[in-house]
Amino acid sequence: MAQPNAFPFGWHIHDFPNGLRLVAVPLPWRGTASVYIIVHAGSRNEVEPGRSGFAHFFEHMMFRGTPAWPPERYERELQRLGASSNAYTDDDRTVYHTTLAATDLDALIEMEADRFLRLEYSEEDFRTEALAVLGEYWKDSAEPLNRLHEVLRDTAFDIHPYKHTTMGFLRDIERMPEMYGYSLQFFSRYYRPENTTMLAAGDIEPEAVGALVEKHWGAWPRGAYRLEVPQEPPQQGLREARIEWESHTLPCVAVAQRAPAYDDSSTECAALDLISALCFSQGSDLYRRLVIEEQWAEDLWANAVDHLDPYLFTVVARVKQPGRTADVRRAIEDEMERLAAEPVPAERLEQVQSHLFYRFVLGLDRSDSVAARLAPFLALRRTPETVNRLFDTYWRAAPQDLLAAARRWFPREGRTVVTLEEKS
Amino acid sequence: MQVLVREDASPLLSVRVVFMAGSALDPPGREGMAWVAAQMLAHGGTRRRSYKQILDFLFARGASVDVTVDKEMTCFRLGCHADHAEEMTELLAELLCDPGWREEDFLRLRDDAVHLLEAGLRGENDEELAREALYGLLFGQHPYGHPCPGRVSSLRRLDAGAAREFYTAEYGRGNVIAACGGARAESVAARLRQRLGGLPARTRSAGFVPAAPALPASRMIFVEKPASSVAVSLGFPLGVRRGHADYPALLVAASALGQHRMSSGRLYQSLRHHRGLNYGDYAYLEYFPAPMFTLEPEPNHARQRQIFELWVRPVAPEHAHFALRLALHEVEKLAAEGLREDEFEAARSFLLRHCVLLEEARSVQLGHEIDGLFYGTGLQSAYLKQHLPEITPDDVRRAARRHLQPGALAAAFAGPDMDSLRNAILGNKPSPVQYNSAKPDWLLREDAAAAARRIDVQAENTRVQPVEEMFE
Repeated sequence: MAQPNAFPFGWHIHDFPNGLRLVAVPLPWRGTASVYIIVHAGSRNEVEPGRSGFAHFFEHMMFRGTPAWPPERYERELQRLGASSNAYTDDDRTVYHTTLAATDLDALIEMEADRFLRLEYSEEDFRTEALAVLGEYWKDSAEPLNRLHEVLRDTAFDIHPYKHTTMGFLRDIERMPEMYGYSLQFFSRYYRPENTTMLAAGDIEPEAVGALVEKHWGAWPRGAYRLEVPQEPPQQGLREARIEWESHTLPCVAVAQRAPAYDDSSTECAALDLISALCFSQGSDLYRRLVIEEQWAEDLWANAVDHLDPYLFTVVARVKQPGRTADVRRAIEDEMERLAAEPVPAERLEQVQSHLFYRFVLGLDRSDSVAARLAPFLALRRTPETVNRLFDTYWRAAPQDLLAAARRWFPREGRTVVTLEEKS
Repeated sequence: MQVLVREDASPLLSVRVVFMAGSALDPPGREGMAWVAAQMLAHGGTRRRSYKQILDFLFARGASVDVTVDKEMTCFRLGCHADHAEEMTELLAELLCDPGWREEDFLRLRDDAVHLLEAGLRGENDEELAREALYGLLFGQHPYGHPCPGRVSSLRRLDAGAAREFYTAEYGRGNVIAACGGARAESVAARLRQRLGGLPARTRSAGFVPAAPALPASRMIFVEKPASSVAVSLGFPLGVRRGHADYPALLVAASALGQHRMSSGRLYQSLRHHRGLNYGDYAYLEYFPAPMFTLEPEPNHARQRQIFELWVRPVAPEHAHFALRLALHEVEKLAAEGLREDEFEAARSFLLRHCVLLEEARSVQLGHEIDGLFYGTGLQSAYLKQHLPEITPDDVRRAARRHLQPGALAAAFAGPDMDSLRNAILGNKPSPVQYNSAKPDWLLREDAAAAARRIDVQAENTRVQPVEEMFE
C-alpha cells in the first residue's frame, strides 16, 4: 500500500539565472510567513588550518550591516515588524531565518537582499564581534555534552573539517580578531547565489514571492570558488578518549561509528536512522534495560545526522549508577554487534517506521516549524522532495537492510569511544 | 473543572491539562513533592500499564506526553496525530487518574530529580545556576525559595508515599483546566471532562502565595565553581503582573531594555554589540523558563509573584564587575529618562505584532489561553492589543520610575575566584576594561561613568558559597 507523504504540502521551485534557488511553500496557516535563507556553507567549508569556527563567526558578521542598512536600522526595522529572527550555523549550512506577518514579506526580502549583496563592516566591528563569539564559546563550555562532542569529533576525524565543532577550536576562536582580511575572502567565496537556497513558507503566493526575489536578488553575481574538502581515509582501529570534568556531573559515554554521507538512492542511510530509533531510543529494549530496569543510566539516545560527507553514527548514554560506565559502554557495543549478527523482527521495524513518520508530521504545526524542519533537507538536496524520498527509503527498508548496514558500518575498527567523568 | 475546546481541521491533536498546583505547595522540609508527583504521573506508569509499555505505546505513534512543573502550575501536554486521538486521550486520562505508584519508578524519578540539581544545575548549566541562586536569594524561605525539583536533602528523604500524598491532596477536579485543540477536540474534551470529573472535588485555595519578602538592602551571592567565565543574574521583586495598570507600559520598557534573545534591546547593544563583553543580555517582567534553550516562552509558568530580572550571559571573570555596573547603568538610565520616541514606537510595535506569532501553534495557544485565565487578562495578544495602543512614552517613563528604581537589588554570580569579585564589588574598586579595537569617544565616556558607579552593598549581605552547598 502506498504510504502518505511525510511532507504533506505542495511547493514551487524558482531557479534564477544567477543560480539562486527559491523554494516557495504555501501553508494553511493564515497571516504569517517564514523565510529561511540557507547558505550551503558551514564548518565543513573550513578547510584551511587555523580557520575552524569561521563559518559560525561569519554568521555573526552578517548582522553588522551595510551602508544602506547599518545594524541599528536593520534591528530597528525587524523590531518594528515584530519579527522573530535569528540564525544558526551547522556543519553543512548556515541558516538565516525570520518569521513575521505575511504582509511584511516584501519588506523583509528587500532588506535581506541588501546584506547578502552589499555587506560591509569595519575592522573595529569585526574585532568586537570576535569577542562575542568567544562569549558564546564560554557559555557553551559549561555543558559537558558539548565537550564530549568536541572531543569525539577531534578523536574520530584526522583531516576532514568535521574534526571540529561548529564553534571551532578555542585556539582558533581566540585568534579570530586577527582574521579580518580572511573574512572578506570568506564572504566572497561562499555568499553567492549558486550557493544559496531561499525558502519562503506560509501564507504566501509563490509567483509574487518569485517576482520579489528576482527584483531584489537578481543582481547578485555568481562566484567562482571551488571548494575541495579533504576526504577522511577509512578508520584503521578502535579510538578512545577520556575527559575529566572539573564540576560535578554524571558520567557520559559516546560510542560512535563512521557513517555514510547522506544518500536517499538506497536504503543504507535509512537503515541507520531506523537502527538509531529501534535500538537506542526510548522505544528500545536497551533503554528498558539500562534506564528503567537496571537504572544504570539516566538517558540513552542515538543520532545518525545526515551530512554531505561521511560523518558519524553516535550513541550516547548518561550514566547514573556509580562504577557502571564500563558496563553501559559494553551494553551499547554488544547491541551494535548483535545488530550485525541477526536481523531485527519485522514487526518492530514497522513500529519504528510508523514512529519516524508520525514524529515528523507532528512537528508541522505552524509556518516556522515547517520551515525549520525543511531547512536541513534543503541544505542537502535543495528540494522538499528530499523529505519524501528519505521517508520512502524508511518504508522500503527491510530487516535484511538493517543487518547489512550494521555489518558494514559497525565494525570495531571503525569505532570511537569517548567517556567523560568527574575529576576525582 | 474548566474545559477549553478549539477544534479545527488540523490533522494534529493538542491537549494541555493544567493543575493549579506546583512546587510552591511543597511543605517545608519536603521540597520536591510536587515535582516527583508530577513525574510519577507522566513517567511512572499506571496501575494497568508499566512505564515501558507506555513508552512503547507512545513510540509507535510518534506521540508524546510531557510534564512541566512550575511554582503554581503543573502542566501535562499531549501531542498526537488525529489517527490516534481517542487512544491517546484514554492514555492521558489513565496517567492522570490511575497512576501506578510503583516503588522502582519512584526511585528512578527521584534520582533524576536529584541529578537535575546536583549535575544539571551545580555542574552543567552555570546560567541557570545563577538564576536559581537569584530566586533563592530573593525568596529565601518563601514558597518560591527552592528550585521546582526540590532540594537535594529533602528529595533524598522523600518516599513513594510522599508523591501519592501530594497527588491525593492537590490533584482535584476543582483545580484543573483542560484545553483541547485541533483534530477531534470536541470529542476528546468530552472524554476528558468525564474522566477528570472522577477526580476528587477540590478547589484551589485562592491567593495562597504570600508576597515576596521585602528587600530592605542589596544582597549578593557568589557561587564558587570551576569555570572559564562568570554567569550573572540580577533582579528585585516586582509588584506588577499582567492586569496591573502599569503592566503594558512596563512591558514596553522591558522590551526596549532587553527583549529576550533579540539584538534590539539596550542591554544587548551596550554590552554585546558595542563592547563584545558577552553573548547577550536581556530583561524580564515575568519568569521565562529555560531561556538559554528557547526563543519563545513556554506557557503555563504563570506566577502570582514576579521579579524584574536581568540576565547577563557569561562574561570573562575580569569583566564581571564592569558588566554588572554597565547593566545597572542601563536600567538606571531608562528609569530616569524613559525611552526616546523612536525606541518607544519600535518596542510597542514589536510587542503588538510579535505576540501573534507566539500564539500561532495550537498547543502553545492553548497554554496561553490558560495563562490568560490565571491572570484574568485573556489571551495575551488580545490584552496587549487592547492596552498598548493607548499608552504613551510618558506612561512608560512613569511606570519605569515607579517600578524600576528599587532601593535595593539582588545579584547572583556563578564562576571562579568569587572572593576577588566580591571584594572588588564591596570595595567599589575601579573596573577598567580594555578593548581589542578603537572605540568612539561616546562609548569611552559612558564606560567612565559606568565604571565609577558605586554599588552599595554591605559585606554581611553577601556570601561566597561553594557550589556543592547549593540547593542542598
